[in-house]
Amino acid sequence: MSEPPCIRVVDVHKKFGALEVLKGVSFDVHRANVVSMIGASGSGKSTLLRCINYLEVPSAGAIFIDGESLGFREDHTGRRTPRPLREINRMRRDLGVVFQQFNLWPHMTVLGNIVEAPIRVLGMSRKDAVRVADECLRRVRLVDKANEYPARLSGGQQQRAAIARALAMRPKVMLFDEPTSSLDPELTDEVLNVMRELAEAGTTMIVVTHEMAFAQVSDRVLFLHDGSIEEDGHPDQVFTAPRSERCRQFLAKHLR
Amino acid sequence: MSNWERLVWNQRDALLSGLGVTLEICFLAFAGAIVGGLLLCLVRLYVAPLRPLAVLLIEFFRATPIFVQLMWVNYVWPEILGWPNTFFTAGWAALALQSSGYLAETFRTGIEAVPRAHRKAALAVGMSHVQVFRRIVLPQALLTAAPSLVNQFTVVVKSSTLVSVITVPDLMFQSQKIVNVWYEPIEVLTATAAIYIALIFSISQAGKQASDWLRRTYGLQG
Amino acid sequence: MSEALKQSLDLALFWEYRAVLLSGLLFNAGIFACAGLAAIVLGLTAALMRLSRTRPLRWIGTLYVELFRNAPDYVMLVWVHFVLPLLLGFALRTRVEFHPFVSAVVALGLVYSGYFAETFRAGIESVPKGNIEAGRAVGMSEALILRRITLPQVVRRMLPEGLNIFISLFKATTIVSLIAVPDLMYRVSMVTQQEMQPLPLYTGAALTYFAVIFVVATLLRRAGERWRLGTLI
Repeated sequence: MSEPPCIRVVDVHKKFGALEVLKGVSFDVHRANVVSMIGASGSGKSTLLRCINYLEVPSAGAIFIDGESLGFREDHTGRRTPRPLREINRMRRDLGVVFQQFNLWPHMTVLGNIVEAPIRVLGMSRKDAVRVADECLRRVRLVDKANEYPARLSGGQQQRAAIARALAMRPKVMLFDEPTSSLDPELTDEVLNVMRELAEAGTTMIVVTHEMAFAQVSDRVLFLHDGSIEEDGHPDQVFTAPRSERCRQFLAKHLR
Repeated sequence: MSNWERLVWNQRDALLSGLGVTLEICFLAFAGAIVGGLLLCLVRLYVAPLRPLAVLLIEFFRATPIFVQLMWVNYVWPEILGWPNTFFTAGWAALALQSSGYLAETFRTGIEAVPRAHRKAALAVGMSHVQVFRRIVLPQALLTAAPSLVNQFTVVVKSSTLVSVITVPDLMFQSQKIVNVWYEPIEVLTATAAIYIALIFSISQAGKQASDWLRRTYGLQG
Repeated sequence: MSEALKQSLDLALFWEYRAVLLSGLLFNAGIFACAGLAAIVLGLTAALMRLSRTRPLRWIGTLYVELFRNAPDYVMLVWVHFVLPLLLGFALRTRVEFHPFVSAVVALGLVYSGYFAETFRAGIESVPKGNIEAGRAVGMSEALILRRITLPQVVRRMLPEGLNIFISLFKATTIVSLIAVPDLMYRVSMVTQQEMQPLPLYTGAALTYFAVIFVVATLLRRAGERWRLGTLI
């Protein structure tokens, strides 16, 4: 591990008013790793994911993307100044996000959704952006739906379109926030298959999920409980011999 | 003695009487509008042969500007119908016509929003159509329509400022009279504007409170 | 009675003067266009202020909206035309006078910006937060999100209400005759003084406004619905 981790989370705390949702979380994610985060509702896993790209701002602690802190700028004397939103936005381009509710923009077609950021944020020409979009649509197997509006697609198709939209920005890391939780059971497989293919192609991924089948094939599993990481290891170890009692109980409830 | 004292405070009797006339004409107009609107709405929904006429009248009252209607009612109607015979009557009649068009549509929306199931249930227990309408449909329709009704009342108050043009002695008329006597418009007109804004704001707020209370008490989605 | 009815329906007099009278509609249209533009720009600004995170901006926005939304058109017209020039005159130490057209545009623009502000605010708040987050996640600036994601959806959602406000604005332009802008109503009153025959003229005016507004409003509403349903379903 000579290169710095893609993502380094250092002692992140998050409070919503008086409620502390994250109580000092730290972990690293290296290139081409697939990390799954599991845990009960309210354990803070979604909040943690949203902190990584500053959709939620941590109350304390720091997030480093490729060695650069997301929240502040550090000069050579070690003095820290808060990073302006403009720069945070620039760093966000390296993090692709797939949301539980898909969040496709309803007034644009699928193609429109995918090319919007490459054109407006990266400054690509429309021709180049469409070429990239085609590539992404092919990866998620949605080429024939390029000119449809999101409202006409099934949930699984919408989520795959959302994945294509995130991929089009060529992010360093893909963040998935419970990507299949809003889908009918018959539709989850098409999305999970796409995610598996991305993983096999070497994409760095952090996935918050309830789908234990996916967690079992990832490189690393984090179990969160009540704002802390209670279990962190290879799925073989976590699923067969968890050290934490709560993790054991959680797995017993969620594994068939 | 400052201008405020001379032009506003000392004239408060005239201004208050003007405000009284304004409120009087607004209440009369709104009452007329409710009657007219309900009539047009019911004819449109339930009296098939007269439906086109009702629709035409509703669209006519909604599409024509209030000022135009006011002039028309004031100058043309007395010649043809012999009524209205006073400017005050012409004023509230024109305001009532204008609002009856909008209220007809408001009532229609309210009535059509009452779930069909409620009607069917009432008929099933043996109520007549008229009873169903009076006891099941109308109350719910009114509750749905309440916010729109309050809004339309504020429209009536705002439109009532135009009756000053046909010399009805409302608030606007009284304040313009003061301006014409003393040639100093700033204090009087600003005070008048403030009174109207405060009045309309209060009506809106009261309406909102009443709507919220109704929704809470009767549990209907507004 | 029937003599009067016949007289009022005998629109020959209106027809005779049609060139002069109908060209008055151009003034209605002109004031409508200018005031409408002002109302949208000011209304959107006020709405954004009301939704801002800074409290003083929120206060000013709310004050602005409540002030103009609750003001009667005619009162505002008279105030802008007769009082505002005097106030500006004191401030600039010179004599200021407003051309009636300008007063009309300012007065109606301000009042209707109040209505648009509420419409915009409701529209902006109705855009799902997830849409905004997806925009942030790909690195879009807040301004870009507003322009490309929020406002297009606001326009589609609030189109019927917005159209109604525009129609009200057009109807409101008829009062500008009261400060001597030579629109249709003004010309009708001038011709009436000359010809002493109010019946056909005022009837004609009513029918003209009805025809214009009804036709245009219906067309716009239908076109608007078709456009809206085409994209958002």
